[in-house]
Amino acid sequence: MRIAALDELAARVGLRLGQGIAEARACLPDLDVIEAEPNADARLLASLADWCGRYTPLVALHGDNALFLDVTGCCHLFGGERALFDDLAARLFHMGFEARLALSATPGLSYAMALAGRCTVLPTGEEAAMLRGLPLAALRLEAATLDGLAQAGLKRAGDIMDLPRAPLARRFGPDVLTRLDQALGREGEPVSPRLPVAALSAERQLAEPVTGEEDILALAQHLGGNLGETLTQRGLGGLNFALTLYRVDGKVVSIAVRAPAPLKSAARIAGLFRERLAAIHDDFDAGYGFETIRLSVLTTGPLDPVQPDFASVGRSDLSLDDFVGKVEARLGGGVIRVPVLNESHIPERASVLAPFSRDLMDGSPAAAWPVRPRPMRLFPHPEPVEAIAEVPEGPPITFRWRRTFHRVSRAEGPERIEAEWWIDGEAAHPRDYFRIEDQGGRRFWLYREGLYGVGALPPRWFMHGVFA
Amino acid sequence: MANAALAKANLHALRQVVAAIEEGRQHTGKLEETSARDEVAGRLALGVEAFDARLEGGLPVAGLCELRAALTMDAGAATGFALALSSLVQERLRPERPILWISEREAGREAGLAHAAGLVSFGIVPSSLITAHPRRIEEALWVAESALQTEAFSAVVLEVRGNPAKFGLTESRRLHLKAREARLPLLLLRQAGEEEASSAQLRFLVEAAPAGLRRIGRYSAPGTIGHPAFRITVEKSRNPAPFAFVMEWNADDRQFYPTGHRSLSDAVHASGAAHPHRSPAAPADRPDRAAEMGRILAFSRAS
Repeated sequence: MRIAALDELAARVGLRLGQGIAEARACLPDLDVIEAEPNADARLLASLADWCGRYTPLVALHGDNALFLDVTGCCHLFGGERALFDDLAARLFHMGFEARLALSATPGLSYAMALAGRCTVLPTGEEAAMLRGLPLAALRLEAATLDGLAQAGLKRAGDIMDLPRAPLARRFGPDVLTRLDQALGREGEPVSPRLPVAALSAERQLAEPVTGEEDILALAQHLGGNLGETLTQRGLGGLNFALTLYRVDGKVVSIAVRAPAPLKSAARIAGLFRERLAAIHDDFDAGYGFETIRLSVLTTGPLDPVQPDFASVGRSDLSLDDFVGKVEARLGGGVIRVPVLNESHIPERASVLAPFSRDLMDGSPAAAWPVRPRPMRLFPHPEPVEAIAEVPEGPPITFRWRRTFHRVSRAEGPERIEAEWWIDGEAAHPRDYFRIEDQGGRRFWLYREGLYGVGALPPRWFMHGVFA
Repeated sequence: MANAALAKANLHALRQVVAAIEEGRQHTGKLEETSARDEVAGRLALGVEAFDARLEGGLPVAGLCELRAALTMDAGAATGFALALSSLVQERLRPERPILWISEREAGREAGLAHAAGLVSFGIVPSSLITAHPRRIEEALWVAESALQTEAFSAVVLEVRGNPAKFGLTESRRLHLKAREARLPLLLLRQAGEEEASSAQLRFLVEAAPAGLRRIGRYSAPGTIGHPAFRITVEKSRNPAPFAFVMEWNADDRQFYPTGHRSLSDAVHASGAAHPHRSPAAPADRPDRAAEMGRILAFSRAS
């Protein structure tokens, strides 16, 4: 076992990273050893990144101990760069994190400053002067490159900034110059955010934390109203919404809902969250309350403006979308389904239950196919039956299905349906379907898979559906 | 004085007209008023006279009705009957609004899922049907209740399996009242269930019955399976005597008929639209077809 991380006190005593535990214990007998949990650390960093979402939507993870926050355009919301910086530092400190923060014009320079312990806000224009004094080790270079630079006596960024570029790149690789340019802002370095950035979001910071679901929903509706205006201006409606709740103790709760059709009405957005909250009621822990609430529109869709008429003819459609949205918000997606015809002869492919969407309600091209007798209900998996046929290729005269014996009184068929070789492969067996009525008048759809005399196994019989 | 009285009468008449218009457009009255009116209107005639007469005019279009299949293997027939009834309600009362079929997951696993091609061959447009597949019975009841609160559907079919304890008298009463308030039919499709006290106005036992023969023109093709037939036993109704009836559903006409009935579409085929009242000429190169031996007037009762 070796030391993966140590605290300030241990470092002061003289322990080092990578040192063996036995050796460390020899130095310091009452050493407190906690086993490293990289996964838990990663989770913590991710939840911290979520929490940082209160400052900016662009939060990126870097390595296993760093976060990049792109606060461009967000500072004025907190009263300037310095105020944002201090607020973040204070909050992290109170949450018990030892954080090194730096704010500058480029991610590379900020990282180097934080690593070198220059935890401050760098005014614009002083980038080169600051970088000049920083060690090269802070520039995110590979260990081998750093070794090479150190052998040449180059230790500070200032040492290489004035050197001719071409020989430097030839000797130490192009990375050195790239990192240098990124830190100085000569080359762009985009921060790739951990979470997709919402198309629109509205936020409310609360003086008094809220805990009640009703209060949260009222706030969500209020925020929805703010977003609705922007959506109307853009001619869009929201499809996926997320309500992000920042708890006072730093935990972030995110609730996502999906609307069946683009919508912008605040009441309907709040209605979706009402159902979702009701569904997750037991897992929803408000703790000491939420201090910041943000409503984001993750994806949008075009919303055709409809002028309401006096007879309100279009109202029934709206309530269907409402109903689907409500049910799916509470019971999860895919609960509401629509039977859809597909262009296939294989029964299980010819008809699928597709998740509800408005477009499906208009019918499909396969609806123009000729109507053949097909069962009303199809079993998701054909069930094997023991059938006895009078002649090998003929319909069964008796069969046993689910431990019940049926005697066939009439049969129509066979209707041969060949396998789709482009999907099932050449070896797939054809099926001979029979429409059967037993002596009780029940109508079934049985099929025989395979042909006699072809292949090693005899054909098998399956129950595939029931007719009305 | 006389003028004042006349004005009052006029005003009264106008109010009546307004009330009639409002009544026709939307219902705002209380439950008691509803039940009084249900006696006369609010019934959907199935078109089978004897059956409608026993049900006092047909199927009530508001409230809960139960369709019970005693065995899982009768679920196909019960589903067919339920969807046929719903599609009649949809066609006659609320076109343009879909039917909602709520089916517990387990019910779907045991008796199969809706098949779009099968719906087409049964005379139902697949896109006029929306299915819901909640996992548990409580969720299914909630979905049914929510559906009754919207104006989006023409009919709601709630399918449950067996006699779940969570769906007892209280729940059925609640759903019945909601359905009545919404003036929507709620058809409870119970597969493999026993008779049980519930608030349903009617309870039918649905079984499959042997179908008639498929008709090709004027002839019945022997050994074929024609229009689906159902044997409906009315187990609970205002009418005290239980009775059973066999009827068939004609998917082309979208209409119920007593079994053995020759429907309108069959008659059209039989008359041969191009050559009315004329039989085809005898073929020259082979013997003439055998003359028809008599005519089937009625099938023997299936029960």
